[in-house]
Amino acid sequence: MRTRAAISAALASAGILLAGWQSGAHVAGTGSPVTAAASGSSSSSGSTGAGGAATTAGGGAAAQAAGTYTGTAVQTRFGAVQVQITVNAGTITDVTALRLTDEDRKSVQISNRAAPLLRAAVLKAQSADVQTISGATVTSDAYLTSLQAALDAANL
Amino acid sequence: MQRTSESAPAGQPVPRPATRRNPALRSRTFRCMGTVISLALPDRGAPRTVPVLEGATAAVERVFTELDAMFSLYRPDSEASRLASGELTLRDASSAFRARFADATGWRLLTEGFFTPERPDGVLDLSGIIKGHAIGQAAAALEAAGVEDWCLNAGGDVLVGGSPVPGSGTPWLAGIVDPLDRASLLSAFPLGGGGRFEALATSGTSERGDHIWRAGAGRTEFRRTEFRQASVVAADIVTADVLATAIVAGGRAMVDWATDSWDVEVLAVLGNGELLATPGFNAARGA
Amino acid sequence: MNSSSRLTMPATTRRTPVEGFRSQARSRLLRADLLTVLAWSSVSLAVALWLADGGASGFSTLAGSFTALGIVAGLAGMDLVLLMLLLAARIPLIDGAVGHDRALGFHRKLGKPSLYLLLAHGILLAIGYGMAEGLNPVAELVALWVQVPDMWLAIVSLGLFVAVVATSLVAVRRRLPYEFWYAVHLLTYAAVLTAIPHQFSAGGLFAEGTWQRWYWLAICIFTGAALVHYRVLEPLVATFRHQLSVSRVVPVAPGVVSIELAGRHVDELSGHGGRFFIWRFLSPGAWWHPHPFSLSAEPAWSDASGHGTLRITVRNLGRGSAQLSRLKVGTRVAIEGPYGLFSTAARTRSRVVMIGAGIGITPLRALLERTPFEPGQATVLLRGHSDADLYLGDEILALCRKRGATLYHLTGPRSAG
Repeated sequence: MRTRAAISAALASAGILLAGWQSGAHVAGTGSPVTAAASGSSSSSGSTGAGGAATTAGGGAAAQAAGTYTGTAVQTRFGAVQVQITVNAGTITDVTALRLTDEDRKSVQISNRAAPLLRAAVLKAQSADVQTISGATVTSDAYLTSLQAALDAANL
Repeated sequence: MQRTSESAPAGQPVPRPATRRNPALRSRTFRCMGTVISLALPDRGAPRTVPVLEGATAAVERVFTELDAMFSLYRPDSEASRLASGELTLRDASSAFRARFADATGWRLLTEGFFTPERPDGVLDLSGIIKGHAIGQAAAALEAAGVEDWCLNAGGDVLVGGSPVPGSGTPWLAGIVDPLDRASLLSAFPLGGGGRFEALATSGTSERGDHIWRAGAGRTEFRRTEFRQASVVAADIVTADVLATAIVAGGRAMVDWATDSWDVEVLAVLGNGELLATPGFNAARGA
Repeated sequence: MNSSSRLTMPATTRRTPVEGFRSQARSRLLRADLLTVLAWSSVSLAVALWLADGGASGFSTLAGSFTALGIVAGLAGMDLVLLMLLLAARIPLIDGAVGHDRALGFHRKLGKPSLYLLLAHGILLAIGYGMAEGLNPVAELVALWVQVPDMWLAIVSLGLFVAVVATSLVAVRRRLPYEFWYAVHLLTYAAVLTAIPHQFSAGGLFAEGTWQRWYWLAICIFTGAALVHYRVLEPLVATFRHQLSVSRVVPVAPGVVSIELAGRHVDELSGHGGRFFIWRFLSPGAWWHPHPFSLSAEPAWSDASGHGTLRITVRNLGRGSAQLSRLKVGTRVAIEGPYGLFSTAARTRSRVVMIGAGIGITPLRALLERTPFEPGQATVLLRGHSDADLYLGDEILALCRKRGATLYHLTGPRSAG
């Protein structure tokens, strides 16, 4: 009887953990940049390849296939957005918003609105190229190990 | 003056040849307001630069020290502490204090409460606005002293004047730390050099924000922080600083409000590490 | 002695058919197993809540790994604490499936693991958050205390948990008075209550609008309600319903007394021979001391409203029990129970052996009255230093004769080794 309890408990626990892990992976998937355009809408935009690869955009080893993938159009507060990604050798090389129309009459205003952007697509810089560094306020102690400290030390 | 930059991490840049892309600078640092402030000037050779740098640093440090003495809640004798303890009322506070209070409450209205001069426990805390104010005042002192090209960084909030290569119109390039990996940069933004943006401020919740909610400033309900870090580029440092703070507290709604209402560029890092950016940060579209 | 109880004793009723003992045993073990599965599942469910929130992605960085492990430890630790409270809540379902003593045994076994998990929770999070912010763990703890609402309560709570477990261990080892141990245990409630706010206000996992928040609220409220219901309300109701007071104190042997209690509705307390009740004698200085004693005779009642008497037989063991021989007639008595599985409910077959030693003989006296068996199917074994220590032996002998049970008794000093 005790064995029965132990085995059942182990099986139940494993099942529960697996279910939790599965739904957790789902949460991570919907958080990809492609669906981020949907402002939290859970309807999946883009192919699963887009979701999977986007989470590892830096390393870019998730999607093996090369080519261009187009996501489904999702309604966002900015209007309908459709995202196209180009994958090359397992790395996302380009992300384009195919359609960015606006349903309300604020289309002019959103021209400077913040939109999802891949890390690969932001203005890049190495710490050797910059003259100063901005970050969330660091304490005096944390400063010692910061990049800014390295810059300051180099310029003494 | 206290030097705090003796211990640079290994593998970080060491003195390098001056190029247009990589101009030679001289910098000094001091501690104040619980962080480190550094001032960098273009290096025109030690004999010409060092005396100016020392004098400029002293002027900047004076501005910071005076403001800290008045507004620090960590100093029991400061005006802010006496106000917090009830020893002093706002009515009896100095005019400088009341002016900052007026600024802060004005920003609270403009940001729909996401920036607030009150801590969750109700204590008046102007530190959210004082660092930016101090940077701005220090800049005025530098201009008054005739220093034209400078870069001031106070705990990650940046304000620049002129160019790192005097007379060239080259902008200063300010990096933005990647909150997921503090030893690397997420992006950079050109400041000064004749452009309309001279200030960059970054606010963040750091790792903790992922798991801890913070009070939506000025709101009664609790909200989960959407953003781990927000950087705002603006013409003046107080605007950049306040909006960065408000965006971290207010999330997406505040980002849209900020970009609709002010001439700013925003780069925000979401809780899961992904980015939200205005076109100015998009390399494809260019700044 | 006490012949009145036998005069009014109802004829032996067999609520459980003799042939039903096997299925009774099977269903009891099934219930015990299901409870075991449920308990372990609740722990893994606590971890699954976090996994479902995408928590595993935290392992991508070193600081994130510390934080993730810290959160898992906290979830599992709190779940174990709730299980401990449920095990100590005297819930009839648990009591009837595994018995009061085994439930408390599990309760004790969970003490140290849950403390270690909660300590790990605090330490790992201080390290994880600290690494992420460039602070040492101590500075991070200070920052958490100062900056994050409710976090100071959580840190106080952790201190209380350490104090409770440490003093419990010392109390067991040094044999500190029960009262001391009991007072320290009350601190547990303070520790749990102070731990709760930060889980809902600081933990992103239980943010408003998440299903995880509802689940966690539900198990916290369920545990609290079970404690209040079974440990406070039911005892109060039973005490007011039965209106018990001491009617007679009869010396049975040197240092052993039978206490007779008179009250109402005592018929409702019948059929629990062998199980124990917790008694509090409401006299100055003694009212707060709970005494777990079994009935030493089935209740006897004389009218339809159940007016009648109960009897317990007690030996001077501790200081509390010593006071009992000096009880005044008329002292009001609070009652909780019945608890425990030394009863018909534990039987697995129609044949039965009842073994009692010393003062533990007396519950057999009550059990023997009502537990169902055919003549010749029951054996009773009594053990005592001398014939005088076979308390109520004559009553038991009479019952054995009447019901056809075989009685053996062993007397003499314990054998060496």
